[in-house]
Amino acid sequence: MESLRELFWAGQEAYITEVFMPIIIGVAIFFPVLIALFLLGFGRRYRLWKVGQTDNRSDNWFNRLMTTLAVGIANIRIMRVRELYPGLMHTFIFAGTALLVVGKIMRLFSFGGITIPPQSVYLIASLIAEIGAVLIFIGGAMAIYRRYIKKPARLDTVPEDTLVFVWAFILVLTGFMIKGYRIASSDVIPTDWAMWSPVGYLFSKAFPTFLTEIKNEILIWHRVLFHTIPAFVFLGYIWVNRSRLQHVLLSPLNVFFRSLKPKGALTPIDLEAVENFGVSEIQHFTWKQLLDLDACTRCGRCQDACPAYFSGKALNPKKVIQDLKAHLYQVYPVPLVARPIEDRPDMATEVITEEVIWDCTTCRACQQACPIYIEHIDKIVDMRRSLTMERSQMPDSAQQALQCLGAREHPWRGTTATRTEWTEGLEIKMLSDDSNVDILYWVGCTAALEERNMKVSAATARILQAAGINFGILGVEESCCGDPARRMGDEYLFQTLCQKNIEILKSYNVKKIVTTCPHCFNTLKYEYPQFGGDFEVIHHTQFLIDLIREGKIKIGSLDGNRVVAYHDSCYLGRYNDIYQQPRDILGVIGGLSRVELTRSFSNSFCCGGGGGHMWMEEEPEKRLNVKRTEQFIEAKAELIATACPYCLAMFEDGLKTKGVEETVSARDLSELLLQAMVTKEPEKKKAEKSED
Amino acid sequence: MDIFLRVIAIFIEVVILAAIIYVLLAGVRLILFDLGLGAKYQRVVAMALILASCMAVFFFIAHLTAFYPLIGG
Repeated sequence: MESLRELFWAGQEAYITEVFMPIIIGVAIFFPVLIALFLLGFGRRYRLWKVGQTDNRSDNWFNRLMTTLAVGIANIRIMRVRELYPGLMHTFIFAGTALLVVGKIMRLFSFGGITIPPQSVYLIASLIAEIGAVLIFIGGAMAIYRRYIKKPARLDTVPEDTLVFVWAFILVLTGFMIKGYRIASSDVIPTDWAMWSPVGYLFSKAFPTFLTEIKNEILIWHRVLFHTIPAFVFLGYIWVNRSRLQHVLLSPLNVFFRSLKPKGALTPIDLEAVENFGVSEIQHFTWKQLLDLDACTRCGRCQDACPAYFSGKALNPKKVIQDLKAHLYQVYPVPLVARPIEDRPDMATEVITEEVIWDCTTCRACQQACPIYIEHIDKIVDMRRSLTMERSQMPDSAQQALQCLGAREHPWRGTTATRTEWTEGLEIKMLSDDSNVDILYWVGCTAALEERNMKVSAATARILQAAGINFGILGVEESCCGDPARRMGDEYLFQTLCQKNIEILKSYNVKKIVTTCPHCFNTLKYEYPQFGGDFEVIHHTQFLIDLIREGKIKIGSLDGNRVVAYHDSCYLGRYNDIYQQPRDILGVIGGLSRVELTRSFSNSFCCGGGGGHMWMEEEPEKRLNVKRTEQFIEAKAELIATACPYCLAMFEDGLKTKGVEETVSARDLSELLLQAMVTKEPEKKKAEKSED
Repeated sequence: MDIFLRVIAIFIEVVILAAIIYVLLAGVRLILFDLGLGAKYQRVVAMALILASCMAVFFFIAHLTAFYPLIGG
């Protein structure tokens, strides 16, 4: 065979048939094996996902692709301010790998004798690959420091993780060694080597070489072999194995097929068509929910974000996903023959315990934190649906709340209040008397029936009246929106309440709804359309700031100067991205100095009332509202501002538990606004003059 | 001095080669089990791979001792 010559480097000539031909033969053998391994591994996974139920995620491909590129290439959900260290670490490793691959591909396609590229291409390719390898080293060192020295609680390390670190280190090291040997054994030494191959140049100084050229070539050949074979096995391992390295492939897939429906909308059940109410066995999940399990990289961001885990409850979102994944592979072991049901542990009580399933407040902190859009809440609610509707297995307090919802159409068992008690003396229009209104004020069960929150609904109504808004309420015709029933897994009850409310709203030709409750807001806005209830739904914070901006209400100042901290309600913030309007309201009220809690905006800490927990018994030492109240006290807030009736009730309770209700108080924004309206200077002066 | 340096260099090379063999065979082991080899073969496979690793490392030591370039020339 004729020896092709390739310029290894400026001035160095190597015989390609002697040095590279064995590698070409190796690649020719290994590459098809790699393809076969990939197809085998991916095919098995694909079959596993197909075990799940159907779920159409094929819409809006362009949007999906753009987000996948943004997450996959720009690392947008990985690089976050509060995740700077792991974000940088990941970005170094990712960018390093990308540069290394680009460098290698450039070399592959600039193969001497085939494309005959200019010499500068080799140099640029060499430098790009070296920069990439150095970035991998830096990122890898950061990862090792974090995982083995700093040891954050959210990371669990299995032997395969360590193997991956050693593996990556060896591959990069042997890559540099090849370069070093090639430089060391070169006949002529160009002066700019150190510039185009700085690390390889350093390595070249460390290695002894033979005096004869052919021996040096054999030495290089050995090095290349010891670099290439583990690299191929490494790639094979990534393709086939279930390790976290699978995320190279599965994370982009999971991001691509993420949910594009509104964040707060749970998937409805066709009660007349389905065989299972909710999920009691692994194959009842949808294919995307099973892909979620495979895609999880065990990064633990969800665990860190979860308020239930923080407060010592049994729920750990990362563990839920990992346990379900282990169960999936237990039920469908290689080669995917389903294990008989009688041989499986019960998924909804043994794999994931009832306690875990009922600990979730559906606050969405886990999903917000997850870089690859894993959907934890849908899975938990699906399992709740099975427990509630198929087995009637739920905490007593949840059962009582659901019974009350069924019988009295609100969850406040034991209350003697009526839905119109708070309206006394306010002359509020009932739609049953006069439906000619511009706006329906949807009061919600808590604001109508819970004593503390009645002041909020009254304050909101008084502001609307002061602004001259033509509004009315449903009064006794209003039923619970159904949010607690749906989040507690009783889809049947939710749909009953929802359809009844839609019927009433349509009968009064309601177009525009204002509500003080973020849970009602979310349900009316995003879940009622699933059943034909399309209304314009506005949260009172959005409506009130518009009234202020339009000059329909004049805001003055509160007495004194108090430190206020705003609490982002989960269903207003994380679910509906309403972060600024409540802060703008606080901004126009005089006499307030605003502080931000460490956990605010999208990282806010749940008050503990969502997901039906408002009506569920909690262990005193694990109550989320007390933990959140402690955060307010630490921030030295004198005033807790909220825009959610659940949060307000929870903080009132938290303040009492901590014994600080004399010095710290909780107020809804509408109460603060009304207070600032009635105490504004002109009115005060007027009152003083009239007294004179 | 040169002989001493050569021994150190060979030792470093053997450590690197042993690490390569470790990751290589550990990867082969993981792939084998992931492709469906039963759990009952774990011990046999582990022993076989450890044996192969030891043989490879002994070979490398012998090979490097015989053929490694002389330091300094």
